[in-house]
Amino acid sequence: MVNLLFYAAALVAVLTAAGVVLARNPVVSVVSLLSCFGSLAVIYLLAGFQFLAAIQILVYGGAIMVLFLFVVMLLNLGGLSPEAEDRDDPLFHDRRRSAGGLAVAVALGSASLIGILRGARHLTEPTNGFVLPAEGYDALPALAEAMFTRYSLPFEAASVLLLATTVGVMVLAKRQRSAPPAGEERP
Amino acid sequence: MSVPTEHLLALAAILFAIGVAGFFTRRNLIVVLMSIELMLNAANLTLVAGSRLHSSTGAVQVDGPILVIFIIAVAAVEAAVGLALVIALYRQKQTVSLDAFARLED
Repeated sequence: MVNLLFYAAALVAVLTAAGVVLARNPVVSVVSLLSCFGSLAVIYLLAGFQFLAAIQILVYGGAIMVLFLFVVMLLNLGGLSPEAEDRDDPLFHDRRRSAGGLAVAVALGSASLIGILRGARHLTEPTNGFVLPAEGYDALPALAEAMFTRYSLPFEAASVLLLATTVGVMVLAKRQRSAPPAGEERP
Repeated sequence: MSVPTEHLLALAAILFAIGVAGFFTRRNLIVVLMSIELMLNAANLTLVAGSRLHSSTGAVQVDGPILVIFIIAVAAVEAAVGLALVIALYRQKQTVSLDAFARLED
């Protein structure tokens, strides 16, 4: 039953991921990606990672996707201009570029799938099946202890990265404002 | 859930391949950024699968979930910077099509 739920969530994840790439309207892509993240959260939950599932919903679904949706709405992108949109269609236009990209993706995907399925018999799966610990595989006390002891340096680096990003994005926005308005000096 | 690890890994591989396809074929900068997010999520799924496999054989290993948390933080940073750049570029050219930015010196 739980396994069935996993395969259903996996199917939804693959279909919505395909929707992200195939949709011509960016808003559809954003909503599609949101559903993909949601089904991934379900998979994390089923696999025994409650905290990661919550983080996936909060940070990805709540913060990152809102950022994407905000930009799509801000720039008023119902879509590109008609001719640009024709070129943007991943399947039917600009065949050389599309074929190259699709060939790379298919080669990569099939190579890793073959590798995974051939290497699967070398994995030592637990003989009595996966017995889920009561707190799941990412119990917060263990996670916090590791985060602030063994991983304290990456943790501090992440905080510096966030600070640098905040400053950098501010600079990007500021410099644009002091520059002459777009379109006036351009030929 | 007794799904074998290779099925989780296969799902991650499929999602990553879809992300690569979107990254190389789409011209809309925002969709390209979303494809990158898709690839990062596939990496997270791989880490979750590995962590689950190694935790179930003995003591719980938290290295995988911690790495996932760091990847999510970096993904948020990447999205913020990428979208700020998209807005800056949009102000210059009034479009987010990659065709308009083929020449960096413009």
